[in-house]
Amino acid sequence: MTRTFLAKGMEIIQQDKQQILLRGKGDGIFADIINKEVSLLPPTDNLRMINNDEFLFAKQSFDQWALIFLKPKPEKEIFRLLSAFNSNEEILASNYSNTTYFEISGENKNHFLSKLTHFDLRSKKFPVSTMAQTLIARIDCCLYNFGDRYLLSCHSSFEDYFKDRLQDAIDL
Amino acid sequence: MIENKIYFKFDGKTFEGNEGDTIAAALLRNNVKLVGRSFKYHRPRGIYTCGIEEPNALVQIINEHNEPNVRATVKKIYEGMVVKSQNRWPSLKRDLGSINNLLSPIFSAGFYYKTFMGPKSFWKNVYEPLIRRTAGLGKPPKEFKSKSIHLQHNVDIVIVGGGLTGLLAAKKLAGTKYDVLLIERENSFGGILKSSKKIKLINDQDPNDWIEKTERLIHNSSNIKVLRNTLVNTYNFKDHLIALEDKSVGKPQDNKKPELVLHKIRTKQTILANGHIERFISFRNNDLPGVMLAASFEKYIYRYGVVPDESPVIFTNNSSTFSLIKSLIDLGHKPKAYVDIRDPKKIEKEVVELLAKNNIPFYAKSEIEGCDGKNEIKSVTIRFKKNETAKIKTSMLCVSGGFNPDIHLFTQSKGLLKWDENLITFKPDKIFQNTITLGSVSGNFSYQNIMKEINEKLSFLEGINDLDIKLDIEGPVNFHIKELWETKNAKKSLWSKSFIDLQNDVTTKDLKQAVTEGFNRIEHLKRFTTNSMGTDQGKISSINALGIVSKILKKNISDVGTTTYRPPYAPLNFSAIAGRSTYEFYDPVRKTPIHPWHIKHNAVFEDVGQWKRPWYYKKYTNETMHEAVQRESKQVREAAGILDGSTLGKIEIKGKDALAFINLIYTNSFTKMKPMTARYALMLGEDGMVKDDGIVCKINDQHFITTTTTGGAANVLAHMEEYAQTEWPDMNVYVNSITEQFATFNISGPKAKTIMERVFSNIDFNNKKFPFMTFNNFDYLNSKVRILRASFTGEQGYEIYISPKNALTLWERIFYYSRGINLVPYGTETMHLLRAEKGYIIVGQETDGTVTPIDLNLDWMIGKNKKDFIGKRSLIRSDIISSERKQLVGLIPLDKSYGIEEGQHIIEEKNLDTPIKKPIKMLGHVTSSYFSPTLNHCVAMALIKGGNRKIGSQLYVSTSDLNVIPVEVVKPNFIDPKNERLVS
Repeated sequence: MTRTFLAKGMEIIQQDKQQILLRGKGDGIFADIINKEVSLLPPTDNLRMINNDEFLFAKQSFDQWALIFLKPKPEKEIFRLLSAFNSNEEILASNYSNTTYFEISGENKNHFLSKLTHFDLRSKKFPVSTMAQTLIARIDCCLYNFGDRYLLSCHSSFEDYFKDRLQDAIDL
Repeated sequence: MIENKIYFKFDGKTFEGNEGDTIAAALLRNNVKLVGRSFKYHRPRGIYTCGIEEPNALVQIINEHNEPNVRATVKKIYEGMVVKSQNRWPSLKRDLGSINNLLSPIFSAGFYYKTFMGPKSFWKNVYEPLIRRTAGLGKPPKEFKSKSIHLQHNVDIVIVGGGLTGLLAAKKLAGTKYDVLLIERENSFGGILKSSKKIKLINDQDPNDWIEKTERLIHNSSNIKVLRNTLVNTYNFKDHLIALEDKSVGKPQDNKKPELVLHKIRTKQTILANGHIERFISFRNNDLPGVMLAASFEKYIYRYGVVPDESPVIFTNNSSTFSLIKSLIDLGHKPKAYVDIRDPKKIEKEVVELLAKNNIPFYAKSEIEGCDGKNEIKSVTIRFKKNETAKIKTSMLCVSGGFNPDIHLFTQSKGLLKWDENLITFKPDKIFQNTITLGSVSGNFSYQNIMKEINEKLSFLEGINDLDIKLDIEGPVNFHIKELWETKNAKKSLWSKSFIDLQNDVTTKDLKQAVTEGFNRIEHLKRFTTNSMGTDQGKISSINALGIVSKILKKNISDVGTTTYRPPYAPLNFSAIAGRSTYEFYDPVRKTPIHPWHIKHNAVFEDVGQWKRPWYYKKYTNETMHEAVQRESKQVREAAGILDGSTLGKIEIKGKDALAFINLIYTNSFTKMKPMTARYALMLGEDGMVKDDGIVCKINDQHFITTTTTGGAANVLAHMEEYAQTEWPDMNVYVNSITEQFATFNISGPKAKTIMERVFSNIDFNNKKFPFMTFNNFDYLNSKVRILRASFTGEQGYEIYISPKNALTLWERIFYYSRGINLVPYGTETMHLLRAEKGYIIVGQETDGTVTPIDLNLDWMIGKNKKDFIGKRSLIRSDIISSERKQLVGLIPLDKSYGIEEGQHIIEEKNLDTPIKKPIKMLGHVTSSYFSPTLNHCVAMALIKGGNRKIGSQLYVSTSDLNVIPVEVVKPNFIDPKNERLVS
């Protein structure tokens, strides 16, 4: 269930998004296959992210990328892309659309998150257009830094627990 | 200034205090000096200090969930607070436990170790309850729900202490590029500036004005964050500090808000400006209420406006008490006597002149021999020549035995100390982490040099300027200390004691006895006597103990060394440590997409890892678990059942070398396996022991999907990732966890196929088209669904994998289309029963990390012709192939009315002695046992030594009431051994 959480100087909005998790060498062939389908070149630096209106593309580790669809696509289109990516035997593309997302914005977002994570959110340590994989409320999460807001993702099975923790952190 | 009056209760009596008073300040304001009883001897105890170092004044706060051992010198009062003294009965003044004091001559160091040796049966039933009842501090709190939270910080610099030094350091860092966190344990800044009149003016301003201006500067600096009422408790590696903030200072707890905040701080640089602690001097009856440290006495005057006594006797070995004398005189009072151990020539002339000018009796080269009184001081005895003494009536004695830098945090950081002969104390020497000590914690007791020290030690920081400061100091600049740890006891009675550790009731005599008994290492001596092992960690006395021991051992103190100061600096509430990881947030919770349906249908949940899995479903309110499981399993065998298996781990494996990879990861051979078929597979550790199992689905040689156990999913993925990255980096293979991306349902039972045909009407489920252990993908609900023909019950079965977004819809459709078929939802317990009837293993139940596939009779799953796989080499070791290893067998009780308990031993003995007197040969243990409603008797599986050879024989299973049940050893397959149902 989608919810909005409000607190002083902060807003959290739950969002539905689709995602494809890509594994591969990250070489020219890999980049070409991706670029052909989504008109974006995968970022080459670890934990870097790039985005346009439609996609957020983040390099999560040396051989892993997350392609998040900022605008919803028909499920058939996701399957088409998966098929296109997986047509190369050296790429593994998995449908990760069953992921829960929260957009966190507002001037108090760092203070709020400091109740839930040890991660250093200062801009000098977590610059804009980078991402992090860290523990938030004791579960594995990805955090994408857009500057004015963060996009946070976690496994959907944790959704209820995570929303309870968000509300609890707001209340306390 | 009009103070707000506050009323609170102490031991049932109502007292009036001022807003901002600590319990101790308010009690002293009401001339109450007796506040507690000591730990062991139940001696009357009073208020010794004015802060966190307090060893005596520990009280219980009744209206805060009975919170025990609260320092009265720290806890602020509020309206309606109810405080009770501890460790006394029936009352504080008349405590029956004080009989311990009469018996104290026999309660010396090591008394417990030597006395309560035997008989053995007394340890638990007599000695422990007796000792616990007569000794100890407060009573444990009642259960309550914590609202403490944790807050994380990442900064460049932490300043611990907001006294003069901390404020100067913060002022220097204001407006710089550094993120600074300034932490002060009190609710106001200033430290010594607010606790005494030692510094008259700062830059020609009143110290309070200077503090206010500096605070404003800090407040306006965007780079400095401030925490008040926050005590840094722990200094971990690497520059990781833990500090506790009390959010409910001076107000009742609000259960809707966090009362405590545990700050976890990571920093690049730690500035310790946490000051010093005054120490006491040991003399006869130095524990009587009315004895107080001199600086604490002065702090009560300036912090709280309380004069604990108008004419105390002052006893010292240094000149720091000048400001106390001056303060009393300024207030129109004066000390009854001034006793100084030093030669008059070594005492600063300012002190001597002040005493002379105000006609204060001055005893130079003298000492306090002891003090007397019942529940508080009535008189002190001064020894002013070798054997001459004078007795003075007084109700208060202020003692100053010198100062110790507050080195606890520094030593927690593993910094090294050195002995300073002039200051007669240990001070920081070599740092281990990025630590800077400033001010008195570094041994710099000279205020005049503080700014120079700060400028020098912070000069390496970029973009900061040197500061200058002018301090107008009243009284002697130096305090010329003379070593004195203990005065000579005139031995007036057996019950007069000279204490070294007030909280643990350790006397100086105990130290001597410990050394005599051979405990001449300071760490051994500490444990034998329990010196410095109280909750105060001997803050005012530990160096004194070293001084006394060094004299006994005739060594230098620096050679005796120090004991270890361990975190936390002061006791922490367990609720603060736990934070929000309690009750509903004790552990993260994972739910499947079908969870709301399970709740609606009265599922009772089982925790499997972090997952909530339906254990069984209650058909009616009073249905027991046994009844439900019997009903569910019978219905599966007779019609069909559905299990939510979404929690099963699922891993997608792809790459040019995926086939080679999977051949190495699992024992089975996958080379000849056809695409779109599946295989039950075993995964071993390098030791050849079963690690996990699951079904491997082959899409093609480059693409596989495997399942894992629910609990093993994360480990299996990590295991695969580790081997792919570190052992076989040349392989082109990638693995993704897709556990969350598919909901999984297992439908099984004789009617399973009928249900599938109804739900997926466009799919042909004919055995020839869709044989056992094959799978295919289909379009369904505008999405994809993967159906695998497999079973974990021994019945005809199908596994459906679908996107979680469509899962609940499909689940409900399955029930809709099963009308008239009697489809039952079943939980994990029924699943366990059904698979046990069929003899299928569960990793973690039939295995325990010491079981091989051969032990499980699963050697048919080992690809004999495979060149290699993880664990292969271990499987040919002699002890692994031994026929005497424990092997998996089935058990059936000879008397079918008996049940077999899981975990019980398998033995050959018909009878057991009660109690068991001789060792009994244990052949193995029961791994699983269930009552089968289909067979109408119990079926069990067991691991038994040489089990395969014992099939057909009779053995015995022990019971929890020391009986035995005769059982027949059978093959572990109780239903449909020919698999006719499975492939039907």
